Amino acid sequence: MGLRWFHFAAWGLFALGLALLPELVSKGTLRTLIFANYLAIFAISWDLLSGRTGYISFGHPFLIGIGAYTSAILTKRFGVEVEIAIPIAVIVTMIAGLIVLLPALRIRGSYFALVTLAFMELMYQLVQVIRPDLTGGTRGMSGIQTLTRGAVNGFYLSSVLMFVIAVAAWLLLRTRIGTALTALGLNESAVEGSGLSTTKLKMFAFMASAFVAGLGGAFYVHYLGSIAPRALFDINFVFTIIVAVLIGGASTIIGPIIGAFFLTFLLEYLRPFLPGAERYFIYGGIALLLYMYQPKGIYAMLMKAWHSLHERAAK
Amino acid sequence: MTHALEIRNLVKTFGGLVATDDLSFDIKTGQSVGLIGPNGAGKTTVFSQIMGELRQTSGKISLYGKNLGTLPTAERIRRGVSRTYQIPRPFLELSVLENIRVGFMPNSIWSMITKGPDKDREIQLALDVGFSQGDFDKPASDLSMGDLRKLELARTIATGAKVLLLDEVFAGLTTGEISQISGLIQDLRAKGFTMLMVSHDLPALEPLVDHVIAIERGRMIATGTFNEVINDETVRASYLGEV
Repeated sequence: MGLRWFHFAAWGLFALGLALLPELVSKGTLRTLIFANYLAIFAISWDLLSGRTGYISFGHPFLIGIGAYTSAILTKRFGVEVEIAIPIAVIVTMIAGLIVLLPALRIRGSYFALVTLAFMELMYQLVQVIRPDLTGGTRGMSGIQTLTRGAVNGFYLSSVLMFVIAVAAWLLLRTRIGTALTALGLNESAVEGSGLSTTKLKMFAFMASAFVAGLGGAFYVHYLGSIAPRALFDINFVFTIIVAVLIGGASTIIGPIIGAFFLTFLLEYLRPFLPGAERYFIYGGIALLLYMYQPKGIYAMLMKAWHSLHERAAK
Repeated sequence: MTHALEIRNLVKTFGGLVATDDLSFDIKTGQSVGLIGPNGAGKTTVFSQIMGELRQTSGKISLYGKNLGTLPTAERIRRGVSRTYQIPRPFLELSVLENIRVGFMPNSIWSMITKGPDKDREIQLALDVGFSQGDFDKPASDLSMGDLRKLELARTIATGAKVLLLDEVFAGLTTGEISQISGLIQDLRAKGFTMLMVSHDLPALEPLVDHVIAIERGRMIATGTFNEVINDETVRASYLGEV
């Protein structure tokens, strides 16, 4: 796995930083950080699937939405305990992940991206027309049980969830499965030509991604206490997830976290100056510039700076 | 000696074009066979059918006496046959050792996660094919064509296959690289690997094969020792352009 002391030190520092934040920042900033944590979870989920395997998903809210709606319906409509509803939501999302896998067995590239976009749109339509008594139809659902009260508790819960998911995914991808998934993204036929089942590998990536999306979606809905189909199955939401990964650095796990925090704060701090959708031009512009000059994202920039610092210190 | 590979009445058509025309031949275990023919003769198509990348129209391909039927490529590799490509297919962003690692990987997700890479085996194979220690961490994108061919050969060997199909292993190589790859193939022969080799470089092929099969338009036109085939009138007429 090639684990070194500074890896643990870096994760430890990150955990310490998260733990201390409520003492250092306002409650308003904490609420922003909660959204950053959830965006980081969704970005990690997207990165597990698309960053590694190259199967670009434009319909990730399909999976997030299934996790969120399942847990919301079970707790609100059927009175299921949230501790039971969330694991069920995760399992249902993983089954849905298999549905997204099906087109990936035959198509890739822009065709796959369009099919996943269609999945999201389909889900958007379905939750409105099929059993609106359960889903809340167009208006969605409110009054869903929340897991925490107050910004500090909400921040800690989302931070722990994000941190555990990030470390687990990071450790997982440092094993040979990480190399195999990267190879799959680089040259699928050569992976097949190395005697490995690409179907098995894709299934693993899709299930792992769906697991994280389902878990994140379920916790997110129990943080918000409400769910609205237009906000969830929204192309802007998809782009925010993808841009967070690309800005931070795809296929790195840490990059999506950096990207999610960067984007959330960028959008938040631009709000007083650009209250409308114009903010998206700014982050689109930043993403474009970064992609032109550093396509591997902020994480690669930081690593480059770290290595040159290290080299200078060695001299 | 048992037959490692048996090809019986293999036919492959693409619409009206017959790419493989009733081709039959056997390769004994440990034998090294050259498959030659002019451009478009259908040599690579034969490889692709053996590997299951192309499905034959009719005919039978057996590996160690077992019909490969409609098995997918990965399963054929696990049963013991693997190939290299005319244009190498490396994982460009992965290092030399990581490329080899993919070849060594078991086809089990659980094993991939729970068992670490066998670095000693990876390093030994990298050294065996002619890489030096300084190359191990180089990304494949930084390698020369000769090194990419060595890397592909290493990954093919790493799969554990004992029947190797080598497609134009000398194409685009310098004289020094040809001699290096040639030495490597000699080593594989000595280790008992069974090989079917396609090459346009006949002088380089000659010392590496026990037997040669010449095909034209997918049909076998001659078979025998290197000299027998190369001096065959039909072969000279079609392959070398002589009458």
